[in-house]
Amino acid sequence: MSAHGRAGRRGTGAGRGAVEQGASAVPGHGAPAARPAKIGIRDVGKTFRVRGSDRPFTAVDGIDLDVREGEFLTLVGPSGCGKSTLLDLVAGLTAPTRGEILIDGRAVDGPGLDRGIVFQQYALFPWRTALANIEFGLEAKAVPRKERRERARHYLDLVGLDGFGQRYPHELSGGMRQRVAIARSLAFDPDVLLMDEPFAALDAQTRESLQEELLRIWEKTGKTVVFITHGIDEAIYLGQRVAVMTSRPGRIKRVIDVAFDSREGDLRADPRFGEYRHHIWTLLRDEVAVAQEQERTIG
Amino acid sequence: MADTLTPARGAGPSGGTAGDGGENADGTRPAGRAVPGTGSARGDAPTADDRATNFFRTVAGTRTSVASRLVTGVNRSLALVLLAGVWEVLPRTGAVDPVFVPPLSEVLLAWYDLLLDGRLAEHFQASLTRSFSGFGLAIVLAIPLGLAIGWYRPVADFLSPVLELFRNTSAVALLPVFILIFGLGETSKIVFVFYACAWPILLNTVSGVRTVEPLLVKSARSMGLGPVRLFQKVILPAAVPTVFTGIRLAGAYSILVLIFAEMVGAKAGLGYLIQDSQFSFRIPDMYAGIITISALGLLFNLLLLGVERRFSTWRTT
Repeated sequence: MSAHGRAGRRGTGAGRGAVEQGASAVPGHGAPAARPAKIGIRDVGKTFRVRGSDRPFTAVDGIDLDVREGEFLTLVGPSGCGKSTLLDLVAGLTAPTRGEILIDGRAVDGPGLDRGIVFQQYALFPWRTALANIEFGLEAKAVPRKERRERARHYLDLVGLDGFGQRYPHELSGGMRQRVAIARSLAFDPDVLLMDEPFAALDAQTRESLQEELLRIWEKTGKTVVFITHGIDEAIYLGQRVAVMTSRPGRIKRVIDVAFDSREGDLRADPRFGEYRHHIWTLLRDEVAVAQEQERTIG
Repeated sequence: MADTLTPARGAGPSGGTAGDGGENADGTRPAGRAVPGTGSARGDAPTADDRATNFFRTVAGTRTSVASRLVTGVNRSLALVLLAGVWEVLPRTGAVDPVFVPPLSEVLLAWYDLLLDGRLAEHFQASLTRSFSGFGLAIVLAIPLGLAIGWYRPVADFLSPVLELFRNTSAVALLPVFILIFGLGETSKIVFVFYACAWPILLNTVSGVRTVEPLLVKSARSMGLGPVRLFQKVILPAAVPTVFTGIRLAGAYSILVLIFAEMVGAKAGLGYLIQDSQFSFRIPDMYAGIITISALGLLFNLLLLGVERRFSTWRTT
C-alpha cells in the first residue's frame, strides 16, 4: 500500500483541517468547519416501547456528532449501546424520538438513495445474480436498463469480482458476498456510505483484505463513510476519527482523531497504533462493564 | 393464522455453499406422502415434506461421479423390481389368495386390455379434467388471497377466524354438502378438489409472505422502495419457493381426494373404475386402476417439480 499519509490521502479538500492533531481527544462533536457538516446529528434520542413493560426502552440519548464531507468515521461501543439504532436513524429507516439528523443541512425524513447501507449479513437478494443485485438500487433510481448493466459491471470490477456477475449469492463466499453488497451500495452513487459491522462475520484474513480494499475504494470514490465496528483495531485502522459510545442509553463519549505520519508497511505495528488502541480500550472498558451489568439485570 | 404452519423455506440469503446440484432426487418420493385429512395434518405436511426433500438432496449431492450415480439408480429401481417380484410370486405360490391379489402380470394384462378398448383413456380423461380444474382454480384464487392475507394485517385479522374454522373442517366431511348444493355432476367434484387444494396453497403463500427475511425488506427500504415496489421486487420473489411447496402439495391432493369423490358418486373416472371393478369382481381391473392413479400422481409431482426448479434456480437447498 502506498500514499497513505492520512491527510493527503484524498483529493477532495473538505474537512481535512482537524485531522493532523495527533491523539488529542476532542470531547463531543468535532469542531464544525466553515461549511455545514455532511451529516449533522443534533441531540438525537430514540426510545422504543417495549412489549409487556410500561417503561420505555431508551436506545440512544442526546447524541451530538458531525461527520465531515469525505470523512471516514468509525463508531465503536459496547454491545447493545445503540450503534445500529443510530445508523438506522441516519439511514432514515426509523425516526428519532427527539433531536434531528441533517444531511447537507437538510433534515432526514426517510430513507433515500443519497445514503447507502452495508449490513453485516450482506442482505443480498438470493434470487438475483451478483450483477442483478448491484442493479437493484439503480432500478429504484429508474436508470435505463443498458446503463444499469454497465454501471453494475463497473462496480463489480471495482470490488474485484470481475467475472462473477452471473453467480447467485449462495455460490459466493462470505467475503465475495460482502463485496457485492458494497458494490450494490456504491452503484447508485450515494454521498454517504453507512456500514454496520460489515466485516464482523468474515474470517480474519478476508477481513483484512476487505479493509484495505475499502480504504482504496473510499479514496477513489470520496464517499463519506460511517463505519460501525466493535473491533478497536478495525476502528483505528480504518477511521480518520473514532467515535466512542457509552453503554446504553448510547451517547458519544469521546471522538478521537487518528493520524499516522505514514501508512507504509504494517500500520498495526506502529507504536502510535498501540497508543490509540490503549486509549480507546481504556475508554471502552468501563462502558463494557456497565453494559454487561445491564444485560445481566435486564436479561 | 398459519401459526401452525412451519415455513418451508430454504436456508435464506446467507446459507449454503456453492451449488452442488442435488437434482433429480425428489422424483422418488411417493406421491401419496401427504394424507388429506384434518387441518393439523395439512399444516404439518410441508415441514416433513421439506425435510425429506433436503435429506434426499443431501444424499444425492454428495455423490457426484457417474459410477455412484449408476449405483444409486440401480439401488432405487432394485426396490421396485423386488416389489414387482414379490407381487408376482406370492399369489402364484398360493401364499396369498390369487383371487383377491392376482399376480402382477395378470394385472398388467388387464391394464393393457383397458388401454386397448379405450375405457382407460375415458376414465383417465374424466379424472384429469376434474383434478386440473379444481387444482387450477385453487391456484388462481388461493395465491392472491394468500398474498393479501400475508401482506395486509387487517385482511388477516378479518379473515382469520373463518379460515381457521374451515381449515380444520375436513374436505371429506364437506363432500356431502358439496353434493347437496352442486349436485352429483362435475361441479361438486371440482369444488371438492378445489377446496382440498386451496388450503396448502393458501397457507404456504401466507407463510411465504410473512417469513420473508426482514433484513431484505430493510435493505430494500433503505434504497427508497415504496410499499408497491417492495412487494413486487422483494416479497413476491422471496415467497416463490414457499408458494411452490404449497402448489406441489396441492397437486398431490388434487388426485388423492378426487378418487374419493369418484368413489362416492360418479359414472366415470379412475375412482369410479376402481370402485366399479371391485363391486363387479373384476379384481385385476381394480388393481390396474390403482396402478394408473399412482403413476398419475407420480407424473404430476415430477411435472410440478420441474416447473418449481425453473422458477427457483437460486435456491440453496
